[in-house]
Amino acid sequence: MELVSQLVLIAVSAAIINNFVLHYFVGICPFLGVSRRVDMAFGMGCAVTFVISVAALLSWLCTEYILRPGAPLTSWLTGNPEADLSILNYIVYIFVIASSVQLVEMYLRKFFPPLYKSFGVFLPLITTNCAILFACLEIMKHVSIGAGAGAWGGGGGEKWGLAAAMVLAIAGGVGFTIAIVIMAGIREDLDHCDVPKPLQGAGITLLVAGILALAFMGFSGVDSNLKKAISPQDPPAATATTPGDPTEGDPSP
Amino acid sequence: MTLVLIMLAAGTMLALGALMGYVLGWANKAFHVVVDPRIEQVNEALPGANCGGCGFVGCGEYAEAVVESDTAVDLCTVGGESCAAALAEILGVTVEQSWPFRPAVHCGATYAERLKRSDYRGEQQCATANIVSGVQGCTYGCLGFGDCDRSCTFDAIHTIDGLATVDYDKCVGCGACSKVCPRNIISMVPFKIEQMVVVACANEDFGKDVKGVCKVGCLGCKACARASDLFTFTDTNIPVIDYDKYDPDQMDEVEVALAKCPMKRLAKVGKPSDKDIEGVAGEDAPGVVQVDFKTTVDDTEWHG
Repeated sequence: MELVSQLVLIAVSAAIINNFVLHYFVGICPFLGVSRRVDMAFGMGCAVTFVISVAALLSWLCTEYILRPGAPLTSWLTGNPEADLSILNYIVYIFVIASSVQLVEMYLRKFFPPLYKSFGVFLPLITTNCAILFACLEIMKHVSIGAGAGAWGGGGGEKWGLAAAMVLAIAGGVGFTIAIVIMAGIREDLDHCDVPKPLQGAGITLLVAGILALAFMGFSGVDSNLKKAISPQDPPAATATTPGDPTEGDPSP
Repeated sequence: MTLVLIMLAAGTMLALGALMGYVLGWANKAFHVVVDPRIEQVNEALPGANCGGCGFVGCGEYAEAVVESDTAVDLCTVGGESCAAALAEILGVTVEQSWPFRPAVHCGATYAERLKRSDYRGEQQCATANIVSGVQGCTYGCLGFGDCDRSCTFDAIHTIDGLATVDYDKCVGCGACSKVCPRNIISMVPFKIEQMVVVACANEDFGKDVKGVCKVGCLGCKACARASDLFTFTDTNIPVIDYDKYDPDQMDEVEVALAKCPMKRLAKVGKPSDKDIEGVAGEDAPGVVQVDFKTTVDDTEWHG
C-alpha cells in the first residue's frame, strides 16, 4: 500500500503537476519544433516516452548496481564499501539515450516512413532532449542520495526502487505527450486566427507556451492533498486542512 | 583499489557498448529499409546547390522524385545539359534537347530615364513600394529596391542605377528573382545561344501614356512586328517574342527589327560573345579591381 501510493503520487506528479515541459521547462526544442500538427506531436510524444523508458530502465540498473556510492558490484570488486563511480553517470546516461534514439529511428524508418520524414532533424535531436536526461538525473538523485524527493510527492528520504524510476519515466513521457498534443491542438487552431504580424510564427508560439505553463501552474498543490487522501497513516493530518493551501480555495467568494 | 576502480569504469562502458552495439546491430538488420541505390547516384550527379529552381525543396527531394516518379530529368537549371544527361544515363531514359533558362528583365530604364518618381520613404522593398501608388510613373517597370538582388543566392543580379541587371556569368537560372519580383517583369527565357533578344520594356499602355512616364519605354509602334514575325502583338501595346520560333541561325529579320525599333527596346542580353570581346580588345577598359582586405587584428603594441 505504501509503495502503491508512492507510485501513484510520482505518476500524477510527473505527468501533470510537475510536467516536464510546462513546469521544469525541459524538452522545449521538440515542444516548439514538432507541435505543428496533432498527429506529428503525438508521434513525437510516443517516441520520447519510449526513449525515456528505455533510458530510465538502463540508467536505474547502472546507477543502482555500479555507479552510485557504495553500489554492490563496485564495493564487492574493490573491497571498499565507500567506492564511488558516480563520475560515470553523465556519460552512461548520454550513451544509453543516444543508443535508444538510434533504435527508435530505425524502427520508425521501417514502419512509419511518413512520420519519419515529417520528423526530419527532430528525431535524432531527441538524443539531446533534456527531458530525457532530466529524468535520468532525477532517478540518479533518488537512487544514489535518496533525498530531496519532495518534488515528486513521495516525501523526502526514501530511496527509489526500479518501479518508482520506471513510473517517473513513463509518466514523464506521458506528461510530455499531453503537453505537446495540447500545444499542437492550439497551434492548429491558431493557423486560422488573425495573428498580428510581429507575433506570427515563433512569437505567438512562445506566448501560447507561456500561457499553457501558467494554466498548468494551477495544478500545484494537488499533490499534497492527494497524498493526504491516499495515505492511510497519520489520520489527523488527512482530515486537517492546511491554512493557505492553494488548492483549498477561499470559501468567501 | 584505484586500478580496480578504473578497470571497473572501463568495463562498465565496454559492457554497455557491447550490449548496445549488439542491439543496434540486430535492429539494423531487422529494420533494414531498402533504398534505391539510384537515388544516391542521382544525388551525387546533382550540383547540390539546393536552390529550389527545379520546384522541389532541395536536391535530395528532386533526386527522390526523379527516381521514384516520372519527373523530368532536365529540371535542374544549375546543372544544365550535362547534369540532365548524367541523370538520364543513371535512369536509362533519353533526354530531349533542353535549353538553359536564364532570367530576362523586361525593363530598361534607369532612375534618370523614369519620370514622375516621388521621394518614397517607406520600407525600401519592391514588394512594399509596389502596393503604394505614385512611387514612380510607370506602373509596369522596375522599382529598383532590389528584392531580386536579395533573393539571389548566387550574387548574380544587382540593382544598378535603379535597374535590376543580371550578371549572366554568375547566374545559374534558379528563377528565384523571377518569383520574387512583385511586378513580374523578370521572366525565364530559354537561352538557345549565349545572347538572346528580349523586349526590355513591360509597359502595355499606348505610346502617349508611355511617353509620360518613361523616356525610353516601348511605344507600341509595331515596327518590329512588320520586320519579323518573331514579334507578335496581342491586344496589348508590347511585343511578345515567341521563343519556340526563335532560331539563332536566322537572325537577319530580327536584326532589321532591332535596327528599326525607335526606342531601342529590343535588347540582346546574355554573356558577351567572343566577337564582342575581340571588338573591344583594343580599348582601354578598366581592369578587374582586386579587393585588398586588411586584417582587423591590430598587432601594434599599446604603449599607453
